[in-house]
Amino acid sequence: MLAVFLVYTSIAGGGTPQLRPSELKGRTGEVGLVGKVVGRVAGDARGDGLRFRIRDVEGTAAVPVVYRGSVPEMFRTGRDIALKGRLKNGTFVGTPGTLVTKCPSKYVPEKKAD
Amino acid sequence: MPELGRAALIVCLALAVYAVVAGTFAARTRRRRLAESAENAVLASFLGALVAAGVLLTALVRNDFSFVYVWRHTSLELPRAYTVSAFWGGQEGSLLLWLLVLTGFSAAAVLLGRRSAPSLLAWTVPVLGTVMVFFSFLLVAVASPFTTQAAPADGLGLNPSLQNPYMLAHPPFLYLGFVGLTIPFAFAMGALLARRSDELWVVVTRRWTLVAWMLLGFGQLLGAHWAYVEVGWGGYFAWDPVENAALMPWLAATAFLHSVMIQEKRGMLKIWNVLLVVGAFALALFGTFLTRSGILSSIHSFTESSIGPWFLGFIGVVVAGSIALIVSRLPLLRSKTRLESPVSREATFLYNNLLLIAFCLTILWGVAYPILTEALRGEPVTVGPPYYNFFLKAFGLPLLILMGIGPLIAWRRASLRGLGRTFAWPIGVAVSSGLVLLALGAGSSIPGLVGYTFCAFVLASIGFEFARGTRARQALAGGSWPAAFAQLVGRNRRRYGGYVVHAAIVLLAIGVIGSSAYDTTREQRLRPGESMGIGDYRLTFKGATSERGANAVEVRALIDVERSGKRLGTLRPGKNNYVAEQQVSNEAAIRSDRLNGEDLFLIAEQVTAESVFLKALVKPLVNLIWLAGFVFVGGALIALWPDAREQRRLALRYGRHEALARA
Repeated sequence: MLAVFLVYTSIAGGGTPQLRPSELKGRTGEVGLVGKVVGRVAGDARGDGLRFRIRDVEGTAAVPVVYRGSVPEMFRTGRDIALKGRLKNGTFVGTPGTLVTKCPSKYVPEKKAD
Repeated sequence: MPELGRAALIVCLALAVYAVVAGTFAARTRRRRLAESAENAVLASFLGALVAAGVLLTALVRNDFSFVYVWRHTSLELPRAYTVSAFWGGQEGSLLLWLLVLTGFSAAAVLLGRRSAPSLLAWTVPVLGTVMVFFSFLLVAVASPFTTQAAPADGLGLNPSLQNPYMLAHPPFLYLGFVGLTIPFAFAMGALLARRSDELWVVVTRRWTLVAWMLLGFGQLLGAHWAYVEVGWGGYFAWDPVENAALMPWLAATAFLHSVMIQEKRGMLKIWNVLLVVGAFALALFGTFLTRSGILSSIHSFTESSIGPWFLGFIGVVVAGSIALIVSRLPLLRSKTRLESPVSREATFLYNNLLLIAFCLTILWGVAYPILTEALRGEPVTVGPPYYNFFLKAFGLPLLILMGIGPLIAWRRASLRGLGRTFAWPIGVAVSSGLVLLALGAGSSIPGLVGYTFCAFVLASIGFEFARGTRARQALAGGSWPAAFAQLVGRNRRRYGGYVVHAAIVLLAIGVIGSSAYDTTREQRLRPGESMGIGDYRLTFKGATSERGANAVEVRALIDVERSGKRLGTLRPGKNNYVAEQQVSNEAAIRSDRLNGEDLFLIAEQVTAESVFLKALVKPLVNLIWLAGFVFVGGALIALWPDAREQRRLALRYGRHEALARA
């Protein structure tokens, strides 16, 4: 059992680090980005990409994001979200299909946002 | 009204404290009357919890928004059934449900135990009481469902994704399962506290464990079906921590159910079994903790949450206390027999246990990984579905094949020649089905092909076992084949109920493999009249509708479905806009084929009269997963059903007095 586990972790490596916009600088590999959607949401996720900014949940650092793929119903300005992707020329390019809205638990409705 | 609720909870807490203190003292000094009074406190606490639950339910039904809980989780527009389900829609309500089920189960365990195992009860009551103290204390002092305010005009409403019939049933089933695991835990600890070395606690709690395990398993399948039809991303399980929270105790309980059979039959694995029962209970607590403490979003929200630290503390107390108790009783737990051969039925049970627990621990590691990395490095690192899927294959496939081997292999020591004879037939079936599947193109996924070959092996071995038993029965008692079959199952309910559950797990595996290894997905933007193809299906966009429903605006795309030139009807995927809650929910459309179990699954985004973005999935055999749920419950019920012959056997073994009247 332990052998299987060690083989897996040595081949596939660890998981994906979850970062805030302020921690993004200099990271080139695929990372997870967590933060709050701020400002206007423009573009088309099923066309040339949805464009918005993500800010630290507690803080001021923000980064522009472009994302294609499915968008959860809860997505809108003011929500906390997470997505995977990598930083390219100062813009965070999302991996399609990885955008999720953060909710403390499936069973607790989120009421504060908007 | 809120005062009555609060008072009932305080009474509950006081009774639980009394059950612990008086129960412990009575058990130490062997005072029967005091012990009985502690038992009665357990019974009375159930009434207290009933009153508290009644108050909350009444407030919900009457839309009494002066209760903060009612205001936060319901609205005037919410249909009545969902107003009731809001009972377990929030933290305080679900804790109250925990307490209600806990006191109810404990009361039942006390009443049944008085007849079947009075000698065990004395030390079991304080253990049950301790768990009750914890939950009623949380409800009284930390997370009261009876906090009041000046009543606002309307409530905030219930999360729309919870407004679904499945959400009426799924959480209570999980809670019944979680809480049910308390009873075997309490009896095991009670037996250790009383310094007993026999298997009576295993025998007395066998049905409790089975019921809890069955409800937990069924509840998870309900949740999976809910995710499939309601959340509507095209899947049914995503290795979300909340889902893992319920899967882990189920896996531990599955391991426990198997290894206690070895203890009953051969007196082995005693330490392992008490560790498993502690593990299953601790994981049930941990599951509630995960879903309720906010630790999943981050450590920071966890430290701000009111109940999180309490839960973690209690889990720590339970684990540390149980381990200390087990260590102090090690001499009692020495095995009477040893494993004679690595090729025997006992050994396959042991391998099954190791695989289940290894799988459970890798899931635990995956769930805890972001929490640990955030605490250690300040940067949470998550592991995704690839991690879990790898271990599902690495541990799940061997588990599958063990289900085929275990039932046919001899106890104690199996000879290789005997093995060859027994397994020739199932192996033949497996290899030929593998070849047929390969010819049909199943080779596109190697794990899928291997999985299906294993499934064929297990089904053949189960079928073989039923056929052999029926033939032997008929030779012995005569009569028709069906009568012999019914007698066979009726006389060995545990064994054949178990095989039916195995068949259900195989069905589940077939459905999971089919829908994950052999599915197809396509997505495309369509204008009216345009169509797209997926598999044999042809989908045509006919336009959109918008209607005002009970509490939502329902937007639907009309999609005509054809298969191989034959028209199958219109599917209506779309969105619901919930007005009061200001939320949108995805309403996927599903067409199930009854003949081959295949689903056509449609998700419509950006629905307007001019165009729709349509995502289509074809998921072969996915309906076998839901069928497996019913077979699973059926098999578990067969294994549970009262059996007079078994009662007599046990009565002989544990003394007439204790086992005769076992329910």
